[in-house]
Amino acid sequence: MGLMPVGITPNESKVLCQRVLGLVQADSAEVRVAAAADQHLRSANNDITSNSIANRIAIHLTVSYGQRSASISTNQTSDAALREAVEKVQALARLVPKDPEHLPPVEPADYDEPIMWAEPTAAATPADTIGWMRPVIEQARAARVESAAYLIRRVGATALSNSCGLFVHQPHTAVGFSMTARTLTGNGSGWASTQVTHAHNLDLTRIAEQAIRKAIDSRNPAERPAGRTTVVLESAAVRDLLALLVENLDRRSFDEGRSFLNSLFSNETSLEKPGTDRRDPIGSHLFGDKATLVCDPLCPEAPCGTHDGGLPLVRTPWIEGGVLKAMHVGRFWALKQGIKAQPSPGNIIMPGDGLTLEELISRVEDGVLITRLWYLRMVQPQTLLHTGLTRDGTFAIVHGKLAGPVKNFRFNESPATVLKNMVASGIGQRVLGGENAMPMHVPPLIVKDFNLSSVSDAS
Amino acid sequence: MNRRDWMKRTTAAGLSLIANRWQRSMAEAASVNDHFIRLADIPLNKATSLGASFADFHIMQTDSESLFAREQMVQGVVAESTFGCSVRVLVDGAWGFAASDDRSEESLVQLAESAVAIARAQGGWRRRPVEIEILPAFNGRWEQPIEVDPFAVALEEKIGRLLAINQAATGSGATFCSSHLSQVRERKWLANTFGSHIEQSRVRIFPGASVTVTDPRKNEFATRASFSPPRGAGYEYFRDLDCIGDARLAVEQAREKMVAPSVVAGKLDLVIAPSNLWLTIHETVGHPTELDRAMGFEANYAGTSFCTPDKLDTLRYGSEHVTIGADRTALNGLSTIAYDDDGVETAGREFAIIDRGVFRNFQMALGQAAWIGRTSSNGCAYADSFEAFPIQRMPNISLKPGPDPSVTVQDLIAGVEDGIYIEGNNSWSIDQQRYNFQFTGQVFHKIHHGKLVGMYRDVAYQGNSVDFWNACDGLGGEKTYELGGAFNCGKGQPGQAAPVSHGAVPARFRQINVLNTSDEAGNKTVASNGNCNGGKLGQWG
Repeated sequence: MGLMPVGITPNESKVLCQRVLGLVQADSAEVRVAAAADQHLRSANNDITSNSIANRIAIHLTVSYGQRSASISTNQTSDAALREAVEKVQALARLVPKDPEHLPPVEPADYDEPIMWAEPTAAATPADTIGWMRPVIEQARAARVESAAYLIRRVGATALSNSCGLFVHQPHTAVGFSMTARTLTGNGSGWASTQVTHAHNLDLTRIAEQAIRKAIDSRNPAERPAGRTTVVLESAAVRDLLALLVENLDRRSFDEGRSFLNSLFSNETSLEKPGTDRRDPIGSHLFGDKATLVCDPLCPEAPCGTHDGGLPLVRTPWIEGGVLKAMHVGRFWALKQGIKAQPSPGNIIMPGDGLTLEELISRVEDGVLITRLWYLRMVQPQTLLHTGLTRDGTFAIVHGKLAGPVKNFRFNESPATVLKNMVASGIGQRVLGGENAMPMHVPPLIVKDFNLSSVSDAS
Repeated sequence: MNRRDWMKRTTAAGLSLIANRWQRSMAEAASVNDHFIRLADIPLNKATSLGASFADFHIMQTDSESLFAREQMVQGVVAESTFGCSVRVLVDGAWGFAASDDRSEESLVQLAESAVAIARAQGGWRRRPVEIEILPAFNGRWEQPIEVDPFAVALEEKIGRLLAINQAATGSGATFCSSHLSQVRERKWLANTFGSHIEQSRVRIFPGASVTVTDPRKNEFATRASFSPPRGAGYEYFRDLDCIGDARLAVEQAREKMVAPSVVAGKLDLVIAPSNLWLTIHETVGHPTELDRAMGFEANYAGTSFCTPDKLDTLRYGSEHVTIGADRTALNGLSTIAYDDDGVETAGREFAIIDRGVFRNFQMALGQAAWIGRTSSNGCAYADSFEAFPIQRMPNISLKPGPDPSVTVQDLIAGVEDGIYIEGNNSWSIDQQRYNFQFTGQVFHKIHHGKLVGMYRDVAYQGNSVDFWNACDGLGGEKTYELGGAFNCGKGQPGQAAPVSHGAVPARFRQINVLNTSDEAGNKTVASNGNCNGGKLGQWG
């Protein structure tokens, strides 16, 4: 496996887990090990500003006496440190009141072999990564723009083991890269990103070209009035919105009456035929017909781990043709409600219609192309309304063509509404998110009636 | 088992065990103290011998404990410790940095070698070399003064308080109540080739709760979070808070909010409490005046700033009422510390960012002062872990009280014909150059004819940072000053979380743009006789 930090091979992490569990005297225990060797390369103003490497390991142990549990986390692996951590967490657990929702550790299961490891990524050296970055900076200098970029190369692994005999180890490699280009006048800005498992798939020149082109094209933006309008959202914007939706698809919140799905489901079922089960939103047509979201850990374009806390993660449709197909259900809540536990998705894949970005734009008579969103925050949990802003390249669309840059907007919109109002989609791609690290492979979308709430002077 | 029984059962057993829970951390820290100068010489000498013009060596130990309770269940008791070190070098005008949790002498040598190697790998194609100022050497030890070490407080005492908060809330009619308590201790050792050897320790604590009331018949719910900001303080802060009273009030206010009329969007006068205004200060003054951001160093993530160096001493950032100062010395400040992570002494470096409305200074770290023609950093460097490269982070940034110490929040409200008094922070968002912001809050009291007359819901206020501060026409006096703050403010790539406090007095702002968030979601409110009844035309979407 090439260069790896301590704790990253299956054998090392198994030995470490056994050392920890061997010290535990509590009724049950679960240990998670996360090891990583990271290189971070950061640039601004067309120079590298910091360049760092860090090896790290985190050992997270939960022990239980009956229904009393506590957890501890440490990065120290000596015998003395582990012994003390175990003693400390056991002392804590004995003092904690019984948790009526406590469950024993997860039983071992069969897991798909993940596809998150690429040897060339693991074997790359710090000098290699500087070699990847240098042409990008030189590209920006040649284009007479100021670039700021961030490259992270991660070689890591996670392991989970427990007193029920479970042991699962999953290594991963990734290179993430993002770049912002700004014109020298400061009024044009472009951003582009990529994330790959395999370093051979890196094409940083292409990413830099995209960022530089957007910066140049977005100079001297005109002011377009705010208001509800049709937008084309590039994949980076789509992923940020969809991540917010998925993380709120939670069964317990719904059952407790404090989910956005409560009012949405209520509105929908009031239109449906009598006899609809109003206690279960699964199977209801809550979104637009074109809305399909799938978790697929073995999707080669954006793979993820194949378990979540020991529960197998397999290909699962969450929304299919606008119909809600799955919600996160924790183990306790599943037991209480008599339904199946559903782990959180490790990735999100949204199939597209296969249209190019230009084809999507050509279908819009009057609208706005949004390339990236920023600072998304929940405003109204009852509707999942979020606010945020556009940045790094926003353009008017007139008669199916780009019609020049426009000033950025603040939006107030619910990602649930976005999935209701999407009318067409493009070709999926994996890009980095501004708010969430989950691997996502999503297409650009045309969304009607998107609420651009006010104009921002930021450029 | 009820709470009282549980307390009785655990108290006797708990006290003896808890006293020793953090013994190892303390022993390890003592061990570093004994050998720090000798340890630091190893990487610093190595780096210097390999050609570094500057090097520093950091050791950082972080202990934390977090407790989570929901209704009468304790759902999380999590202790965490990290301990590691890093070497930062400047070689031929380029930074190199390496970190590890291995503090052996062999590892320290390797860290220095690695840091120098990756700095040197940038050689030959830099456009501008990194230049830093010479700092005075300090040999100091500083420990934040606290009354009660939260790590020495019995677990059952802390859990008991959280369960009592939840009990008070549910007993008052809350459908749900969650509470938490987080505490952190940072120990830092810093040595550099200027000759400094510094050891510091500080503690912070963050109690909080959130109540929810629901109306299943209408598929509605409302929440209200507690007004208990994090502090750079010991357990005495949590001990002395009236969390029970606040939990009961929160239930009452959440209920009222759920049935309150929906605000009509438009321009309104606002009186904003410190519990909300601290976050507005953070976003509209704190982040825009970070010099690294203004110079493009955060362009790829957090963004740049409207507040550029050419606006120093000329930008009318706020009205004449507005003076906003920065320090790392305030009592209970989350950013308070004696030396920053570049080794700059913070005492005596307090500075005004905005002085009577005029923009006067940026926040700076090592090597940045020369960018604006100044001589030295003002002590704003911070690294959030042993593996983090120190970057410029916010000091405590606070709005100074008005000149008349007798002015109360009621006085400010009395000067409003129609408006809103906002308490508690909630949603916040601002653009990447810090012009356009939008904030919500926890509680929105309607002001009519200078008096509070009920509550609104669905309120957000939105504006431009400079316009907003220029619309300020009244401040509370010093008795109304309160310290708010954030436990985890994010910045940088890779992301770093920094604690920071913001003091404020209640302040009045004229004709601020108020949005109706229900309208924004696609639900229409209906106005009636200047008020609104919350009726909805058309459904969502």
